[in-house]
Amino acid sequence: MAAPHIPKLNTLSNARGTGHGRGRAGSGGILITGAEEDKSAKDRVVQQTDQDASVSRLSAVEAGYLDDPFAKYFVSGEGQRRFPIINRGTYVRTKAIDNLVDEFLSKNPAQEKQIISLGAGSDTRFFRLMSRRPVSHGRGILQRPNVIYHEIDFQANTIPKLHPIKKLSELSGHIGSPVMFSHSTNPSEIYNDDSLHADQYHVHPVDLRNLDPSRPAPRSFDFVDTALPTLIISECCLCYLPAAAADTVALYFTQHLFPNSTPVGLILYEPIHPNDAFGKTMVSNLAARGIVLQTLKKYGSLEAQAARMKSYGLEGTGGASVKDLWDKGVEGKEKERVAGLEMVDEVEEWELLAGHYCVAWGWRGGPEDDVWEGWKSMAERIGGK
Amino acid sequence: MSDLDKAISELRACKIIPEPQVREICHKARELLIEEANVVQVDAPVTICGDIHGQFHDLMELFRVGGDVPDTNYLFMGDFVDRGFYSLESFLLLLCLKVRYPDRITLIRGNHESRQITTVYGFYDECLRKYGSANVWRYCCEVFDYLALGALVLGTSSTLEPSFTDQSQATEAVDDDVEIEIMNSRNEITARFPRSRRRLFESDGLNSSPPGTPSKAGPPGTGATSDSGGSHLSGGAVLCVHGGLSPLIDSVDKIRLLDRKQEVPHEGAMCDLLWSDPDEIDTWGLSPRGAGFLFGPDIVKRFNHLNDLSLIARAHQLVMEGFKEMFDSSIVTVWSAPNYCYRCGNVAAILELGEDTSNGGVVSRSNGDPGRSSQAFSPNQALRSGPGRRYRVFEAAPQDPRGMPAKKPVADYFL
Ligand SMILES: C[S@@+](CC[C@H](N)C(=O)[O-])C[C@H]1O[C@@H](n2cnc3c(N)ncnc32)[C@H](O)[C@@H]1O
Repeated sequence: MAAPHIPKLNTLSNARGTGHGRGRAGSGGILITGAEEDKSAKDRVVQQTDQDASVSRLSAVEAGYLDDPFAKYFVSGEGQRRFPIINRGTYVRTKAIDNLVDEFLSKNPAQEKQIISLGAGSDTRFFRLMSRRPVSHGRGILQRPNVIYHEIDFQANTIPKLHPIKKLSELSGHIGSPVMFSHSTNPSEIYNDDSLHADQYHVHPVDLRNLDPSRPAPRSFDFVDTALPTLIISECCLCYLPAAAADTVALYFTQHLFPNSTPVGLILYEPIHPNDAFGKTMVSNLAARGIVLQTLKKYGSLEAQAARMKSYGLEGTGGASVKDLWDKGVEGKEKERVAGLEMVDEVEEWELLAGHYCVAWGWRGGPEDDVWEGWKSMAERIGGK
Repeated sequence: MSDLDKAISELRACKIIPEPQVREICHKARELLIEEANVVQVDAPVTICGDIHGQFHDLMELFRVGGDVPDTNYLFMGDFVDRGFYSLESFLLLLCLKVRYPDRITLIRGNHESRQITTVYGFYDECLRKYGSANVWRYCCEVFDYLALGALVLGTSSTLEPSFTDQSQATEAVDDDVEIEIMNSRNEITARFPRSRRRLFESDGLNSSPPGTPSKAGPPGTGATSDSGGSHLSGGAVLCVHGGLSPLIDSVDKIRLLDRKQEVPHEGAMCDLLWSDPDEIDTWGLSPRGAGFLFGPDIVKRFNHLNDLSLIARAHQLVMEGFKEMFDSSIVTVWSAPNYCYRCGNVAAILELGEDTSNGGVVSRSNGDPGRSSQAFSPNQALRSGPGRRYRVFEAAPQDPRGMPAKKPVADYFL
C-alpha cells in the first residue's frame, strides 16, 4: 500500500515567516515596506493554494476517483497521497462543476459558448473537455464542445501553467491553432511566457482585483466574445478576495463586460459556515498558514450565496453543500464505485468537512433562457430542501 | 529508578525510547495481555476513555483532568494510534503504564490497532520516520493482536461520589439523586441531572446542549430509564467495546469464545465489535465505513437486558460534545481526542464510574446469567438503572506548551 500523505509545509514555507506580524511595529518607513512585503507575501500564499489544489487533484486521480490524464502535468514536485475524505471532496466538487458545465454545453450544442475560469490555477477542465470522445449525456451525446475557454490567474500562476502546455504535445495538441503565445506585436512582449491565445483557449495573466469598470479592460479581454452565452467559474478563487472586491469582480462580468442580453451563469465553489466549532477551527487553521477566507463571513451559508447571486443580477439560483452533493448528487453504480475505492473510516469528519463547502450556481436568461434548463433541474434535484 | 520508570518519564516528556527497549516493553506487554480474557473484568471505580489517536499532548491533558496513573484507574477503549503526530509516544506510554501498573490500566483494541489501517492512517509512517525502520511498528502490531476486545465494568455505584480534587465542593456531598454530572477541565460542575427527574426529559432527543452552556432543561443524553428515585445502589454492569455490537453476538459469553489473537478481520464478529456504530434504525443496517454494521435502539436494549447490563460504553465516533448518550441512555459514545486531527473543533470527554460500597465492596457478578435469555423481552420494558456517571469535558491542550518547536501538522482542507 502506498504511503499516505504526511502533511508538509513545503509549498508554504517561504511565505510563512515573511511579512505576517513582522515589521509592523517598526518606524513609519519600515511600516510601508513592511506592508508591501506583507501584501506580496499574502498574494504568494494565495497563489500557492493552487499547489494544494493540484496535488489534491492528482491524488484523487491516482486513487481512481477522477479520470484526468492531464492532472499530472500541472503538479510541480512530487505528488502526495491525500486522506480518503480529501479525495472524496475533490471528486465531489469536480464532478458537480463538471455536471453544471456539461448541462450548459450540451444545450443547443451547435451554438458556440464561452467559459471563463477565474483563478483557474492548474485547472485541467479545458483539456478534459477538448480531449473528450463523444459520450452520452442525459438524453443526448456530448461532443467535443464548441466552446471558447478563458482562464484568468495571477501571472505568477499562468507562467508555470503554460510551461507544460508549450512543451508537451499531449497538452498543446488540444488547444487548436494557430497558437500564439502572445497577441502583442511588441517584440519585448512576444517572449512573454505568461499568456496564451489560441482559437479556443486563452490564458490571461490578470490580477482580478485590478478589474474596474471605470478603467479600460485588460487588452487580452478583446478575446472575450461578449455576445456568447457565457459561464463564469470561481472554483475556490473569489473566496480569497475581500468580500467587496469579490463583488466588484463578479459584477464586472455580469453587469459591465457582458450586456444584459447575453445569458450569463456563475458557479462558485467556496467554504461556508464559519461560526460553528468546525468552521472556527478551519478559519484559524488556515489563518495560521496565512490563508484568509475573506468572503466567508458575508457569504457563510447557502441562503447568503443565493442572495449574492441575485445581487449580481442572476435571477435563477441553486446551491448545495458538498455533503449534499455526495448524498443526493452521486447515485447508483457510480456512488458504489467511488465509495468502494478506499475505506473511509473518517465518516463523522467527512460530514463535518463536506458540510463546510458548497457549490452555488446562478444564471440569467437573455433570449436563450433554455441554456440553463439543466441548471434549474439540478437546483430542484439537489439544491432543494 | 528502574528502566521502566525511566522509559515512562522519557515518554511523558514526549521523547521516544530506544528500539531495543521498545522491543522489550512490547514483549512484556504481550505476556500480560495474553493472560487477559477477550472481555476483561474491571472493578469500579474506573475512568473510561475513548479515542486518543496519537494526540499526545491531549492525552497529558486527559491525565491532568482525570487524575494521574496510578491514582486513577483507567480503561482506554482503543484507537491509540493514527492521525495525530505522536501515536508512538502515546501508545508506548500507555503500554509502559500497563506493564508498570497492570491492575490500574486496561487497554482494549480499536479498529486502528491493525496493520492494514495503520499503513493508511499514519502510524506506520510515523514509526518509519522516527526509527528509520518498520521494526517498532511490527512490535506494536504484535501487541495489537493481543489486546482484549472488550471490558466489563462491575461494582459500579448508582450514585456519584464527590469529585476527587473537588476542594470547594468536597463537603457538599453529591445528592443521591444525581445520575449524571458534567464537569469542565477546571473541575467545575457545569451541569447535573437527577435520576428522578429524568422522566421530564424523555422527549429531549439527542445530546444537543453544548458543553459550557448546559441547559437546565435537559440532560445530555436521552430520556428516562427506570424511575428508580435513587433507591438502587448498584449501578449495574457496563460493557465497554470500541465500536459496538455484532449481529453474530447476542451475549457477552459469545465474545469470550472468539479467537482474538490475529489481525482485525474484514468481517465477522471481531470486526463488528471494533467497527460498528449505533444509529436510529430499527434493527441492523449497513455501515458507511465499509466494515461493521449500524445497530438500532432495540438491538441495544435487548442486548443489555439479556446480558444484565445497565450500559454499553463505546468510542469510535467523533462527537462534538465529547460524549453522547443514546437510546434512553442504554449506550454512550465517549470521545477523548479534542480538536480531532487539529481540525474538527470538538471537545473531548472521559467518563468516571464510581464504586458501589454499599455491599462492603463485594461485587455482584450476575451478568451474563444464561437464565435471562429465556425470558421474553419487550423494548418498552423498564431498563436496568444505570450507574452514576461523571463526564469530564476538556479541550485541546494548548499547542506547544513547553516552547518546543511547534510541530503542528497542517490540517487539510479543500482549497
Ligand atoms: C485554491 S486555487 C484554485 C485553483 C483552481 N480553480 C482549482 O479549483 O483547482 C485559487 C486560485 O485563485 C487564484 N487567485 C486568487 N486571487 C486571485 C486574483 N486576485 N487574481 C487572479 N487569480 C487569483 C490563485 O492564484 C489560485 O490559482
